[in-house]
Amino acid sequence: MSKFLASLVAATMLVPASARAEGTIEVLHHWVSQSEVNALNVIRKDLETKGFQWKDSAVGGMSGANAQQALRSRLTSGDPPGAMQFLGWEGPQWAEQGVVRDLNDLAKAGGWREALPPQLLTFVTSGDAFIAAPINMHRQNWVWANKKIFDEAGIAVPKTWADLIAAGKRLKEKGITPVAMGDEPWQIGIIFDALLSDLYGPEFYKKVAIDLDPAALNSPEMVKLFDTLREVRGLVDDNFVGRDWAVATGLVINGEAAMQFMGDWAKGEFLAKGLKPNADFYCFATPAKVPTFQYVIDSFGMFTVKDETVQNAQVALAETIMDPAVQKGFNLIKGSIPARTDVSVDDFDDCAKLGFNERAEAIKAGSMLGAMTHGFAAKPEFASVFGDVAAQFFVGNMASQDAVKMLVEGIDNAR
Amino acid sequence: MNAAKSFSSRLAGWLPRIVVAPSLLVVIVTVYLFILWTGVISFTSSKFVPVYDFVGLEQFVRLWATPRWHTAVANLFIFSALFLFLSTGIGLLMAILLDQNIRAEGFLRAVYLYPMALSFIVTGTAWKWIMNPGLGIQKVVNELGWTGFTFDWITDPNMAIYTVVIAGVWQSSGFAMAIFLAGLRGIDNSVIKAAQIEGAGLPLIYRQIIIPMLRPAMLSVIVLLSYIAIKSFDLVLALTNAGPGSATELPSTFMFSATFRRNQMGVGAASAVMMLMTVAAIIVPYLYSELRERNNG
Repeated sequence: MSKFLASLVAATMLVPASARAEGTIEVLHHWVSQSEVNALNVIRKDLETKGFQWKDSAVGGMSGANAQQALRSRLTSGDPPGAMQFLGWEGPQWAEQGVVRDLNDLAKAGGWREALPPQLLTFVTSGDAFIAAPINMHRQNWVWANKKIFDEAGIAVPKTWADLIAAGKRLKEKGITPVAMGDEPWQIGIIFDALLSDLYGPEFYKKVAIDLDPAALNSPEMVKLFDTLREVRGLVDDNFVGRDWAVATGLVINGEAAMQFMGDWAKGEFLAKGLKPNADFYCFATPAKVPTFQYVIDSFGMFTVKDETVQNAQVALAETIMDPAVQKGFNLIKGSIPARTDVSVDDFDDCAKLGFNERAEAIKAGSMLGAMTHGFAAKPEFASVFGDVAAQFFVGNMASQDAVKMLVEGIDNAR
Repeated sequence: MNAAKSFSSRLAGWLPRIVVAPSLLVVIVTVYLFILWTGVISFTSSKFVPVYDFVGLEQFVRLWATPRWHTAVANLFIFSALFLFLSTGIGLLMAILLDQNIRAEGFLRAVYLYPMALSFIVTGTAWKWIMNPGLGIQKVVNELGWTGFTFDWITDPNMAIYTVVIAGVWQSSGFAMAIFLAGLRGIDNSVIKAAQIEGAGLPLIYRQIIIPMLRPAMLSVIVLLSYIAIKSFDLVLALTNAGPGSATELPSTFMFSATFRRNQMGVGAASAVMMLMTVAAIIVPYLYSELRERNNG
């Protein structure tokens, strides 16, 4: 090959490298619906004003399981994306593998530790190092109720689960389905988690769902919990098999059912139909002596990459995500509340304001708990045992004692 | 000239092997090497990512102590047996009926074969709606007047696996029918004529002569359908999502959820090894006996 040809080849090989000098960061996530994409655009636009490009890698489906798989293959082949949306224990787990970047300098400069609820830190730190920036906080233990049905039946917002079940039985006699839901294990898990924290207080939830204490798992309280779950099953119509959660929300909106136990992503269904909180529908926390706030967060973690431009983009992205203005804009569209506790909630709707206030109280009262069904309490191998047992109990006619036995054996088997 | 001729004839002899070699290499690596890797993982304590230590049979012990696995294995036997038996039986019956030189044979053949063109996800979703008590068959029949009629198998943990059988058989019997039809067309008419001259009735001819002559077609059908039965993952996921509870869990869905959703890669690998051993224990003797007989007879 002549020298001229060789230098021509070398020159063409340099072209791709120069194209990246702008600073692009590839973000892997599983938000594909229109409202989620709109919310992401808030972050995207702010990042672009800092001079960096956002390269979108959306892998939707199976509640984020597909995106996790895509991440696994990228990491094992040594080509990680710049940032990834973490769910549950993923961030700390990848940090243990040593592939996640330490964001401590940024955290100290931005005062992250003070701005975030302390309970959140387990999921965004590994040891002392910050490894992810949380953008939002969903709450799992909401009850969404049709106002017309409640008012006509003379039902007030229940203060205890006993009240709620009694109200449900009254509605059933009138021929209205009290609770709308589907039979997917996570939908049943939402009710199970709520009972776990509401019936015997946050300490019991911590002992069972986080510490996996064998004595607490095998206690008479657990048997009574399953009894209560059985009573809730009596309030659900028999057609609930295979029903999607959004269809169940639709039943509450139409007045075919009275209430739904669902996280605050259900609020979007009401708002999309133009309904107003407290005017057309009620939103309240699952009833408890000490109202709990079961949180589900989305956070973005950065992976260690060799490219310096990507590293700078990562810093910019983390700053953008923790920016109070961005958090406000993002959450107004998404329907959750900001992860930061120091963002003003004036522009949010009444349900979000209620969530914000109850969160502040829960932090003080120690009832701010990670939602187990979404992976924020026990690790997946244990959380799935709870899900299996609750689901099997709910759809069949197992006795409460047998369910507790199955739970204890399942947890032991997974240790 | 002699040397050139023997070289080109030697090359002609080697050519088939050279052509097949790349595909063979790919298959050996992607299938058998990774089967070996899965086997290795099943002896480690891998949870979230592969870890290469050695813990003996601990993952297998854990696997067999999981009640969901017992449900999955039982479901696999129920589903495979019913699926194979019904698909083969219905396929054979339809092939025999279609073979009677009827008028719209081409059209009917296409109609029966069409379900195979659907993805299992489509089949699962459609049948989920059809079998839902509030939306599908039960509702239609009740509204037609038979108000006491119930068909809520899909909501019953004990009966849900049979709904998976129904959807699977609907999809695959056309396929079995097509293979049997080809086999029937390949049977020499003179044998049938000879039997008719002897005075044998049609059912007897079919039972004693034609169906035994379909053994090679039967082998193809059974091998292909059992591969579909054991692989049934998308059908179960779309139809019942392994529910209600975990009533329609199959080893394939168990393996997927253990490895990718529950951070129990070692248990997932152990379940895959168990699946392989079960399949090998049944298919290998069957293949061996069928192929040995063909070579001898």
